[in-house]
Amino acid sequence: MSSNNRTLPRILQTPAVVLLLIWMLVPLSMTLYFSFIRYVLNNTRRPEWTTPSPSNWRGFGNYEYVLNAKDFWFAIQNSVFIVTSILIITVVLGLGIAVLVNRKFPGRGIVRVLLISPFFVMPAVNAVLWINMILDPVLGLNGLAVAGINSVVDGLRDFPVLGWFFNLWPVLEPISFRATQTSAYAVIMMVAWQWTPFAVLIFMTSLQSEDESQKEAATLDGASPWSQFINLTVPHLARPIAIVVMIQSIFHLSLYAEIEIVSRGSGNKNLPYLIGEFTNNNIGAASATGIFAVILANIIAIFLLRMVGKSLMD
Amino acid sequence: MATVSQNSRLSNVLWPVAAWVIALIFFFPIFWLVFTSFKTDADAVKPEFLFFFTPTLENYTNMTENYDYWRFAINSVITSTFATLFALTVGVPAAYAMAFNPSRHTKDILMWMLSTKMLPAAAVLYPMTFLTKNFLGIYDTHFLVILVLCLINLPIVIWMLFTYFKEIPKEIIEAGKMDGVSTWGEIKDILIPLAWGGIASTALLTFIFCWNEAYWTVRLTTIDAATLSTLIEGNRAPEGLFFGRLSAVSTAAIAPIVILGWFCQKQLVAGLTFGAVK
Repeated sequence: MSSNNRTLPRILQTPAVVLLLIWMLVPLSMTLYFSFIRYVLNNTRRPEWTTPSPSNWRGFGNYEYVLNAKDFWFAIQNSVFIVTSILIITVVLGLGIAVLVNRKFPGRGIVRVLLISPFFVMPAVNAVLWINMILDPVLGLNGLAVAGINSVVDGLRDFPVLGWFFNLWPVLEPISFRATQTSAYAVIMMVAWQWTPFAVLIFMTSLQSEDESQKEAATLDGASPWSQFINLTVPHLARPIAIVVMIQSIFHLSLYAEIEIVSRGSGNKNLPYLIGEFTNNNIGAASATGIFAVILANIIAIFLLRMVGKSLMD
Repeated sequence: MATVSQNSRLSNVLWPVAAWVIALIFFFPIFWLVFTSFKTDADAVKPEFLFFFTPTLENYTNMTENYDYWRFAINSVITSTFATLFALTVGVPAAYAMAFNPSRHTKDILMWMLSTKMLPAAAVLYPMTFLTKNFLGIYDTHFLVILVLCLINLPIVIWMLFTYFKEIPKEIIEAGKMDGVSTWGEIKDILIPLAWGGIASTALLTFIFCWNEAYWTVRLTTIDAATLSTLIEGNRAPEGLFFGRLSAVSTAAIAPIVILGWFCQKQLVAGLTFGAVK
């Protein structure tokens, strides 16, 4: 009976553990191996490099190559820029909206449903919708809105006194979000739109467990709503904020579809995109970049796992 | 005192209005997508038809002709359904064992499973293509997509099930043991009926994640097993020519999932924060 008690649970977990072990170890050790050899898909001068073999050993050469590549540092910088921008927007908006919706008011259920909807839109549709129907500088709402403002201003130029003022008004140019400098903003906008609902949902769940009696006491003591928010609500939300930040970091460090759809990475590469570009030919460099991405993800993952681990067994 | 009550009366009106305005702003892009899907391609780019136009269903009726929508949709349904089923088949016994017979290592195993979820997919892109194309010959098959979707969601499935199973009193399961019920009987007759709600919401959420997955499904398929993510990504830049039909196919791709999502927003919190926010 007692041996049955121990072996059976183990047998029941085995399929899951074995599957995940293979999934994690096999491809990753191949990446590690490829990162130490010369391995390219097309090279007519050195055809021996086109098959993976230990005789093409390159040591840390791929890593050196990647570290010296301008694109690599740009990709890291851009990854960090995109992720931190999204984090700041989603956490600030998420906090505000969660507090706003946490009250009872007519139609609250519908408001919640409307608010959460963007989160369930598939990333490919999200990107296609934003970059075409909304942000396109000519045919999207962006272009139409700017054109509309311009024509209204144009009409006002002929008026006697007002005209003088509106003649100083410049003709607005719509921003093109497919351009090199602006494509990152488009990605930030669409991902923040999709993930703010996630932050709202988590903060709202957490707000519902907030100690109301503490707040009532504070109100009686004459504390203003703002100081209640800063001194009671924000500390209560510290942990959910940390979790929202870390989960989003992990997801957004591997953004791909949005970047591909907005500008095919022109002016806006992140690490996964750079790996994808290297993979077209230079597998050695792609693998070394992949190892860097794993290290970066692990640094964040360690913090997240600690936080999650604390709440695991209670 | 008077100012306080005036203040609160004012805020009783302003508060809901602000909440509604923000909710409508957030929903607007989805509304606009659905709205545009009822315009013809020509009308969709004419400013004079921005709000007022003759609605048409032709974008929906021509979806098969224009995009071969149903082939991709059926692939999405097949892969998401089977990946969810497999993940549950592997996940339920594992979560059962960990919740009711925890060992010293259970916590470590759970943490390790979660850490596999954090592996950046791009880091193993080439090995996966290499293995499945040159070695196993399963590139661009339903089997491969199902397998990968199952694997990337398995940690979340086990975590969610584990948090649900933990809530079930151990005594109920143990009573079954006393009566000499087999382990399989315990799972089938006691656990599954008790945890039905939890298992169902885990399944729904996994299905949503599978449906929306956009990295592996795009990179490990070309034609045969390509899902809706591949279809949409392949039509990324119509340059204004096909806004109407593209909106229709996009609406058709997201509608089932957005509606499904409305029903499991609560579970989403548990599922995505691994039980750390309650």
